[in-house]
Amino acid sequence: MTTREGPDDDRRRHPGQRPAPQRRPVPPPRGQLPPRQAPGQPPRRPQGPPPRRYTSPPPPPGANEETVVFAPVKGGTATKEKPAPPPLGKGGVAIRTAGEILITLGLVVLLFMVYELYVTDLFSAGKQSEASDQLDGEWAHDRTLHPELVDGKAFARIHIPSFGVDYNFTIQEGTDDASLEVGPGHYKGTALPGEPGNFAVAGHRVGKGAPFNDLDNLSSCDQIVIETSTDFYIYKVLPYDDEIENWAGGKGADPKCKGVSTLRDPNAEEGGAYSETFGRKVVLPSQGTAVNPVPYKDADALPKAQQAALLTLTTCHPQFSAKERLIITSVLTQQVPKDQVKDYGDLLSKIGEA
Amino acid sequence: MYAWLWRKFPGPFAVKLTIAVVLALGVVALLMFVVFPWLEPRLWFNEVAVN
Repeated sequence: MTTREGPDDDRRRHPGQRPAPQRRPVPPPRGQLPPRQAPGQPPRRPQGPPPRRYTSPPPPPGANEETVVFAPVKGGTATKEKPAPPPLGKGGVAIRTAGEILITLGLVVLLFMVYELYVTDLFSAGKQSEASDQLDGEWAHDRTLHPELVDGKAFARIHIPSFGVDYNFTIQEGTDDASLEVGPGHYKGTALPGEPGNFAVAGHRVGKGAPFNDLDNLSSCDQIVIETSTDFYIYKVLPYDDEIENWAGGKGADPKCKGVSTLRDPNAEEGGAYSETFGRKVVLPSQGTAVNPVPYKDADALPKAQQAALLTLTTCHPQFSAKERLIITSVLTQQVPKDQVKDYGDLLSKIGEA
Repeated sequence: MYAWLWRKFPGPFAVKLTIAVVLALGVVALLMFVVFPWLEPRLWFNEVAVN
């Protein structure tokens, strides 16, 4: 080892040791210019491979002195090298295997998320298109006024124009897992489309086609169209909580809100039977009264003849959670028999949505 | 575990790699088509109805 060290090598020296012998940068070989240096910078070692083949320059001062070896600084990292790991014992193998299993389980959980968010969409898309084709086939053949309700079988179709012209899903009978995998499901025992009472439909918000993913983007007076074998029923979302008070003079005056009232009875105390009904509401999962004929009231709150024809959509809330339920309630404003319009696109142009 | 599996695979590197990929895909398919559909209804976060 020689003492030809750069000035930055001083840190290797132990403080308190005697100063290193006088050092100078290597003189440049003859016939070459010394490397350019920025003024004020410490001298740098020449870059690139040092040219070796030349008559040896005079040895730098101190070259013939005894080499001084400095002790490494304690705790320094520059010279430390990791010793080769010892072979794993039985315990080590067990720990490594446990780690591998844990990593694998983590990957499985991630994969399950992928399944929930994306793969179920693919499965449901297939089922939905099958159900849709089947429904179209049945409607083409048979135009019975009241279709027979069979569990898990589609009997109507939901369109939401504000979600796009092509937004449509079949509605299956029942809200069990099998029905909801195909698309939105009708709460058994609640009213049918167009009937007084509450036509209630549940749908997934995440995965499985996520038909009700965007329900929170609806605003009051947005249209929801329910298609049956014979008719289009046009519902409009009821006023929201903060719009109720000033409805008639406020948003309710908008032509697009034609036919939408607050359902409140000005003569009755607290607005009458529909005092709890709003266009959007977030409730606990246990609040089954949300789908009652008169929402949030006893089943016999009003005789059937006085009930409004409502449509209620339910989904989980907040997104990715099942802590609460988002409830969207709308009211029937128009019924268009299918022999008056060619198809859904024709209907949209007639109701001013397309 | 995985190192042990790797050593158990026969053949040269290419064959071992092929076996490993096929096995991994098989496990993923088993999870996606059998295990997860079975597991899912037993979990709570997919409920959308009120009752």
